[in-house]
Amino acid sequence: MIQVNNLRKTFGGSNKTMFSSLMGNKEQSPVIALDGLSFTANDGEITGILGPNGAGKTTCLRTLYGLLKADEGSATIDGINVIDDPLAARARLGIFPDKFGLYERLTAYEQIDYFASIHGLQGDAKHQAIETVIKDLEMTELAHRKTLGFSQGQRMKVTLAQALVHQPPNFVLDEPTRGLDVMSTRVLRNYLARFKEKGHCILFSSHVMQEVAALCDRVIIVANGKLAAEGTPAELCELAGETQLEEAFVKIIGSDEGVAA
Amino acid sequence: MINFNISQFKALLSKELKEAFRDKRAMMMAMMMAVMAPVMIFAMSKVMIKEAVETPEIYLKISGAEFAPKLIKALNDENILLFSDVPNDKKVIWDDRNIGLAIPESFNQDMLDGKTIDIYLSADYSEKANNSPVRRIKNTISNYARTIGYNRLLVRGIDVRLLQPIKIIEQDTSLPNSNAMIISMMLGLYLLMAAFMSGLPVAIDASAGERERNVLEMLLCQPVSTVKIVSAKLCCASLIASIGVMLTLSLTSFSVSFIDLTKIGASFSLDTYTIIALLLLLLPICFFASALQLFVAFQSKNFKEAQSMVSMIIMLPAMVPVIMMFVDDKPKWLDWLPITGQSLIMEDLFKGLPVPWSLLTFTGLVTISMTVVLVLLMAKKLRSEKVVLALS
Repeated sequence: MIQVNNLRKTFGGSNKTMFSSLMGNKEQSPVIALDGLSFTANDGEITGILGPNGAGKTTCLRTLYGLLKADEGSATIDGINVIDDPLAARARLGIFPDKFGLYERLTAYEQIDYFASIHGLQGDAKHQAIETVIKDLEMTELAHRKTLGFSQGQRMKVTLAQALVHQPPNFVLDEPTRGLDVMSTRVLRNYLARFKEKGHCILFSSHVMQEVAALCDRVIIVANGKLAAEGTPAELCELAGETQLEEAFVKIIGSDEGVAA
Repeated sequence: MINFNISQFKALLSKELKEAFRDKRAMMMAMMMAVMAPVMIFAMSKVMIKEAVETPEIYLKISGAEFAPKLIKALNDENILLFSDVPNDKKVIWDDRNIGLAIPESFNQDMLDGKTIDIYLSADYSEKANNSPVRRIKNTISNYARTIGYNRLLVRGIDVRLLQPIKIIEQDTSLPNSNAMIISMMLGLYLLMAAFMSGLPVAIDASAGERERNVLEMLLCQPVSTVKIVSAKLCCASLIASIGVMLTLSLTSFSVSFIDLTKIGASFSLDTYTIIALLLLLLPICFFASALQLFVAFQSKNFKEAQSMVSMIIMLPAMVPVIMMFVDDKPKWLDWLPITGQSLIMEDLFKGLPVPWSLLTFTGLVTISMTVVLVLLMAKKLRSEKVVLALS
C-alpha cells in the first residue's frame, strides 16, 4: 500500500546569492511542483495517475523513491516512511523511473541479475526469478545480448524486468507503455493484471486514456500539484457528466490549457 | 544480515568490474601509462650516459687563432675545434650557441716576456646547453696554462709543490645511487602519475558518466546504501589504478636492467625489497586518488565538466614533488600528508637510504583515513537531491 499525505515541494527561488543580480538572473519565482497532494493506492488494485504535463506526477513518484525530499508532508510504503527508513521502503518497491538508462556494456541478463542481487536474491532462487521474468516479458532472445543498440522498446523491457524481478509488493511505474509496441503493451497489461490478482499494489502514471480506463481500478487526477479528482473511471465520467474518460479528464482539469501545455 | 550486505556489495563490485574491463578505451588509457614509463626512463638514461661519458665536438669561434698555434693544438686534443671546420649539419646549432674566444695579437710576445695574457671567452652563460662546452674550454685552457707555469718554475729550480700549501682531497659521501637521482626522480613522479592517471577514466565513467546515462538515478532508487555504492566504485577504480602502478613498476625494472648505469657511477636498482616498499607506498595513493576523482566527478554537472575538473587533480602528483624540490626547510607535516609524504619517502628510497617503515605506515594510514572521509562525504552527497539530479 502506498500512501501520500499532503506533499508539498518547491523548486528553486530560495537560493538567492549576492551576485544573482549581477549574473542577470533576476527574482526567479519558485516552481511549486506539489501543493498538498494526498492519495492512497491500495493493495490488490491498480491505481492510475493522470495529469497534464508538468502537473507534478513525476515529482510525486520521485518523492516516493526517496530521490526528492518533500518540503512538507509524508509518503509511506506499507506503512514505512520513505524519509525515515528509505532502504526498507525501497526494498518493498519496484521502480520503473521516468528517466532510465542501461548499462550498455552488460547483457540484459546481467543487468537483471544485478538488480536481483541488490534486492537480496541469491543462488537458485535468483536464477529462477530471472528466468521467470525474462519468459514473462517475452525477451528470451534479448537476454544474452549486450544492451548497446537496443531499441526503445527493448530497453523498456529490460528496465521493466529489472524492476519486477524481485516481485515487489508495490510497483511504481512512470509511463511504462511509452514506446512499447502493441504486443509488448498487451504483455505488460496482462502481467500487471496478474500481479493485481496476487494482491500487489500497482501505481502507474500514463497519458493513454484507453489504457487507464481498461486497466485501472482507481484513477487519481493531478493538476497543478493538487489532487483534482479521484475514483473509478466510471465514477470520474459520472462526476464530469461525460461518457469518455478523456472528455471527463479535460473537463475535470478545468480547461484545455493543461492539454496544450 | 551480514551475509546480505556482503552479497549486495559483491554484486555492486562485480558489475563495476565487468563494466570497467569491458571498456576497452579506459583500459588502454590505464595501460598506456604503464608502457610509456619504461620507454621514457630507458631513453632518458641513454641520453644521460652519453652526455656523461663522451666528449662531443665543440666548435669555437676563435679570433686570432694564428697567434697561438700551440693553444689551438691543445684545444684540438680535447675535441674542441675551430668554427671554420664545422660540418654543415651542425653549423646552425653552433652559430646559434656563439661561443667565442679572442686571442690577442701580442700572445707570442707576451708569452716570451712572461706577462699575463688576457684571452676572452664569450658565451651566454645562462644557456644550459653552453654549460658543458664552457666548462671544458676553461679546463683545457687552464690546464695548458698551468703546464707552462709549472715548466717555468721547474726551469728555475723551484719545486712546484710550493704552489700548493693545501690540497683538498674530495670524498663524495653521497651513496652511489644518488647519482641516478634524476632518473629516480622521474620514476617517482611517473609512479605517482600512474596512480592518478590509470584509474581516471574508470572513475569518471562510473560517476559522471553513469549519471549522464541515467543509470545512477535508477541505482539510487534501490534499497542499497550510498556508502556501499561509493565503496564499490572506489574499489573498482583503485584496483585498476593499482594494476597500472604494478605494471609500470615491473616493466620499468625490466627495462632498467638493459641499461648499463654503472658508466655514470650509478647503481640504480629495483630489487624486490624496493619494489615491495614502493607498492606499500603507492597502493594507499591509488585509493586516495580514485576517491578524489570520484568526489570531484560526482559533483560536476556532466561528463565534460567532470573531465576538465578531474584533469586538474592530475596536476597534484605532477606539481607537488617538483615544488617539494624547491622547499629547503620542509615542515614536519609534509612527511605525513598524502602525496608529499609518499614522494619524500620515495626520494629517500631511491637514494638508497633505509626504508622508514614507521613513517611509511603512518603516511599510509593518513592517506587511507582521508580516503574514508571522502567516501563518507560522497555517500552523504549522494543522498542529497541536488547532487543526484545535478540541480543547482
